[in-house]
Amino acid sequence: MTQDPENPKGPEGASSQQDNPPPAGAVLPDNQEDISFGLGAPPATFHQDDDDHSRKATLSERFVHFLGWLGALVRRQVWFLLIMLGTLWGVIRESCRPNSWRRTVRYEFQMTLGDVAGGGLLSTAVTGALTGVGVVSQAIYWLGFAGMAKMTGSVLVTVIVRELAPILVGVLMLGRSGMLSLAEIGMLTTGGQVRSMQAEGLDPFLLLVLPRTLAFMVSGFTLGIIFSLASLTTGYIISRASGALSNSLLSFYYDVVIAMTPLDYLLIPLKFVVVGFLVGLGCCVSGLTASKEDSMRTMLPRGFSRGMLIVMTVSVLFSLKL
Amino acid sequence: MSDTGTTSVNRLAGPMLELADATPVFDESGMPPTPLTLRLMPGECVIVETRDMTRATVFADLCSGMIHLLKGNVRFMGLDWTELNDRRRNALRGRIGRITRRAIWSNLFGTHVAMMLKQLHHTTIPLETVTTDTEHLCERFGLPGIPTDVPGRLSEADIVRAACVRAFLGKPQLLLLEDPLETSPVDLSQPFLESLTEARDRGASAIWFVRDPTVWQRYRQAINGQWRLADDGLMTIRMR
Repeated sequence: MTQDPENPKGPEGASSQQDNPPPAGAVLPDNQEDISFGLGAPPATFHQDDDDHSRKATLSERFVHFLGWLGALVRRQVWFLLIMLGTLWGVIRESCRPNSWRRTVRYEFQMTLGDVAGGGLLSTAVTGALTGVGVVSQAIYWLGFAGMAKMTGSVLVTVIVRELAPILVGVLMLGRSGMLSLAEIGMLTTGGQVRSMQAEGLDPFLLLVLPRTLAFMVSGFTLGIIFSLASLTTGYIISRASGALSNSLLSFYYDVVIAMTPLDYLLIPLKFVVVGFLVGLGCCVSGLTASKEDSMRTMLPRGFSRGMLIVMTVSVLFSLKL
Repeated sequence: MSDTGTTSVNRLAGPMLELADATPVFDESGMPPTPLTLRLMPGECVIVETRDMTRATVFADLCSGMIHLLKGNVRFMGLDWTELNDRRRNALRGRIGRITRRAIWSNLFGTHVAMMLKQLHHTTIPLETVTTDTEHLCERFGLPGIPTDVPGRLSEADIVRAACVRAFLGKPQLLLLEDPLETSPVDLSQPFLESLTEARDRGASAIWFVRDPTVWQRYRQAINGQWRLADDGLMTIRMR
């Protein structure tokens, strides 16, 4: 018996199709051995018209499609930057509203401030002292050797306080406290606790991101000043001990202070503040945007590289201005 | 929420919770997009049987306005979740007490802070009052006092007790309770039912999600309805 090419199943198949006609456009497998038999149309057939459609698309439709593809690509590439800008504005805006400063937010702010500024005090002071030994004393020695001892103050302000201190303090904060924040918030996000917090009306942005970012900001300023003082003082002590300097500590600090321009009094604290703020924000946002597939193995390296990028970008942007 | 913590909750004239053809978005919830209809008056308690507690969690999320809808709406205390801004939505969620199978404890705070966090965040009730209320509930559920260790150091039984305290603390007006009795290593039925009755007397409504129908039999006289949550939606069950 030859089969009708229009109706390979024969007359029985034709009559059953007439009794229960398939919906228009549906491609249901007739073969009972097919894995998707009885399960409706397989996913691949849901968009069967897509290929035909793209072939028939007009030039303007193709251009719109290209623009959409380009937009998606750009958004994917600058996704984190856009989130950072949004949350930056959110933190500034929310921090100005008294209603945001509830006792839970204040508690989190105090705890984070204690951890970041209090906990990082010693390590910052030690790093500052080591920098003083390594850099300040060398600078003083070689400037004296070159007969440019009068420029000691301005060189130290430029190199140590304005350039080196924000970078090293940012890296210290990132490694010591930022990674901890990222891990904590990331674990809460991937573990589902953030969702549970939202179910209780506890906004993770208000409860975690806002206070932590502002605590990092305050800590950035505090640790930056401590770092600068520690490095300059240690540098002075080493230089005095080695005989490169003969003036008093106050005189040394006076040289440093008069070497600072009025703009330095604004920009140096601003740099510390901005580095602290963005390191805190970057770590919190990286943790909060972790996906279910993320683990410590993926979150920490990503967060660290983002943090380093933030520190260096801030430093470069401020240096460009100067 | 009341600032004093002692003010009695005004009873609503309308339903406390109302789902009107609420059809969840499948991609977000994993629930089939079937319309769900439920009406819960103040003081009522309904049982929702489900084989899958994950589905109960998602349904509780839906009641809390955390799931987007294809159509229909969900109203709590007469307010449509979709018509509220973030702040008001969060404030309203502060009036819901939940026991959930989803992870709620983290070692970020001590258990005492985690238990009282919602109260401390949403209200200005003095800390002493919140502490006294927490202590009272802790004693009721068999804890020797307010646990101050991080949750990771508590025993499984104490975690279930703490979860009950957390749900009933602050006189919530809606209770979404994913049955804590079935998995509890200790018998908490007495304090649990006491707290539930007390909340209902105050005007709170409750949805009690259960997997094992024997769990709630002691309380069957006080139940207002029995439902089953399945693939094809929410179906009422005739109570025998």
